Amino acid sequence: MAPTAVSNKLKATHRKQFQELQEAGEKGERERTMTLHRLFPLRLRQTIAQVRLLHGSGCGHQLEEVAMEPELRKETSVFRTQVNDPACQSERHLGQYYTLPTSHLHTIFPHGLPARYQQQVKTFNEGCVMVRQPALELISYLKAADYSKPAVRYLLYGLKGSGKTMSLCHTIHYCSTQGWLVLHIPDAHLWVKNCKELLPSSYHTSRFDQPIEASNWLRNFRTTNERFLSKIKLRQRYTWTKRESTEKGSPLGELVDMGVSRVKSSSDVVGAVLKELRLQAAETEESEGFRLAVAIDGVNSLWGRTTIKKEDKSPVAPEELTLIHNLRKMIDNNWCGGAVIATLSQTGSLYSPSSAYLPKELLGEEGFDSMDPFIPVPVSNYSEKEFESCYLYYLDRHWLQHPHSKTDEGKKEIIFLSNRNPSVLERLCAFL
Amino acid sequence: VSASSIGRLVMLFLVRWSRYNPYYLEPEPRKELYNMPETELTTEQKEERELKAVRPIKATTNSTTSSVFNDPVLSKFVNMMMRDGEKILARGILTQTLESLKRKQVEKYHKAPQGKKAEIECNPYAIFHQALENCMPVIGLASIQKGGKFYQVPVPLTDNRRRFLAMKWMITECRDNKNRRTLMYEKLSQELLAAYSKEGNVIKRKHELHKMAESNRAYAHYRWW
Repeated sequence: MAPTAVSNKLKATHRKQFQELQEAGEKGERERTMTLHRLFPLRLRQTIAQVRLLHGSGCGHQLEEVAMEPELRKETSVFRTQVNDPACQSERHLGQYYTLPTSHLHTIFPHGLPARYQQQVKTFNEGCVMVRQPALELISYLKAADYSKPAVRYLLYGLKGSGKTMSLCHTIHYCSTQGWLVLHIPDAHLWVKNCKELLPSSYHTSRFDQPIEASNWLRNFRTTNERFLSKIKLRQRYTWTKRESTEKGSPLGELVDMGVSRVKSSSDVVGAVLKELRLQAAETEESEGFRLAVAIDGVNSLWGRTTIKKEDKSPVAPEELTLIHNLRKMIDNNWCGGAVIATLSQTGSLYSPSSAYLPKELLGEEGFDSMDPFIPVPVSNYSEKEFESCYLYYLDRHWLQHPHSKTDEGKKEIIFLSNRNPSVLERLCAFL
Repeated sequence: VSASSIGRLVMLFLVRWSRYNPYYLEPEPRKELYNMPETELTTEQKEERELKAVRPIKATTNSTTSSVFNDPVLSKFVNMMMRDGEKILARGILTQTLESLKRKQVEKYHKAPQGKKAEIECNPYAIFHQALENCMPVIGLASIQKGGKFYQVPVPLTDNRRRFLAMKWMITECRDNKNRRTLMYEKLSQELLAAYSKEGNVIKRKHELHKMAESNRAYAHYRWW
């Protein structure tokens, strides 16, 4: 049997299974469309469908996409959706992959994506993210929140490799496309371990600075939020040395550039940037305000222990690091006009058992009290539909090459070996 | 305890490498044979099944699987790469090699224009098997003593010997001739891709062996088997 004939037959069976699962979820909508078909001719049906959508979602540009979508769905894109804007995605798109535009990949995510995902983007020549339930839930909360009240804190937690960082990146994509200012700390664990240079802080004698990490972060912050750097003006005068100072009213870009070039004072610059953004996010939309999204991956490192040692070999507590100290101030809910989205991570964490994944275990007493009250968002392994979608995507991108992996037996074995865990599945399919 | 009954006892240690009593049957890991219904069995297979119900069976090695992804050639390669019994490390290196092979080829595939896509082979297993086949020598040399001197005599090789030589050359090449900073899987994937397109040091070594055999043609009649 020719390989293309086999793969087409497989695609047909997989498509059928996927569609069955989708239809089980969309039964109500089907009944509505059945009545439509019975009562109105084709042209009227299309206009009715479009009008319904106008009232429903409020995303006007989706009209053409809806008219096109039925035909596209009949082809191989049961697992892909053409709706690339996170704001317009809904439960209909659960389990489907949407493409991240390349420009967004370079500007929004210079440092946010997991390493293996970056390799995948390079190999497949495109970045596709699956629309999953935790991310959609988070985005709906962000849409419905009141931003004149203090910032709400959301916490993504789940087993290792279940997709917390990717859900966070999906939410950050939403925030960026909505014009928010995104403060993304890709891995807070990197700030509490393996520090090559530790300087005593000039601002506060008992604290320590980390110039390399701070300047790296400022560089990436500059790439992410280019358009805000000239708009936001400083409210306060900052003096760095006897001869250098940043005046009140100068743009934020100047401060960030200073932090990147003068590596010694970069940690204090980070603190100043965080403080300014916290104060200015509270303004309303009309007076040129903005919404602030603080996204932290591995938030449990802020309250744990560090592996950094002082010169007399005594350990450094997290409070004694300027970066951590300022970040903790951002997490407090005493500022308005934004949200704090955090992810727990056991993988890079220090002195925590590998079986721990719940917030209470990883955050500890102190961390839980600081984060309390927060909205927990659990992230689980792939459901059957999501697994089907992932499998079809890998087939489409020519990633599953072993001839047996395309059979039913092989697929059952893959499900057994990976237990539908996203990262284990990815590593398994990498050599199959 | 008589001598005959000692042979019937199951040894409590080193079971695999001891000489099993021929009474013990070989294990059968393949799933398809157990799923066949009664009607499709021949008389021999029916007899075998009845025998398996009464006779004891030898213990399998740790690397035996009933998985559909099991490949005996790859298992042999892993065993040859293994050092100090660290099979997990050797298998990890092999999976990383296959992954890096696939990544390079799939990246090339997605960037290639439509006409060139069919020529690019993305299956790392196909590349591995083809590369190994390209490295296998056709004829080998044996050291034969005649009249006090040893001569290198061209000699035909069995399939197992050819496969062993190809794998051995591949592994020694990747261990010795690499930069200190390159990892084993990187070097292996480069060598395998080169061997797939009939270039590289391993292919060169095979050609040198063939040339030696050709130059020693005169001694061919020293072979008596």
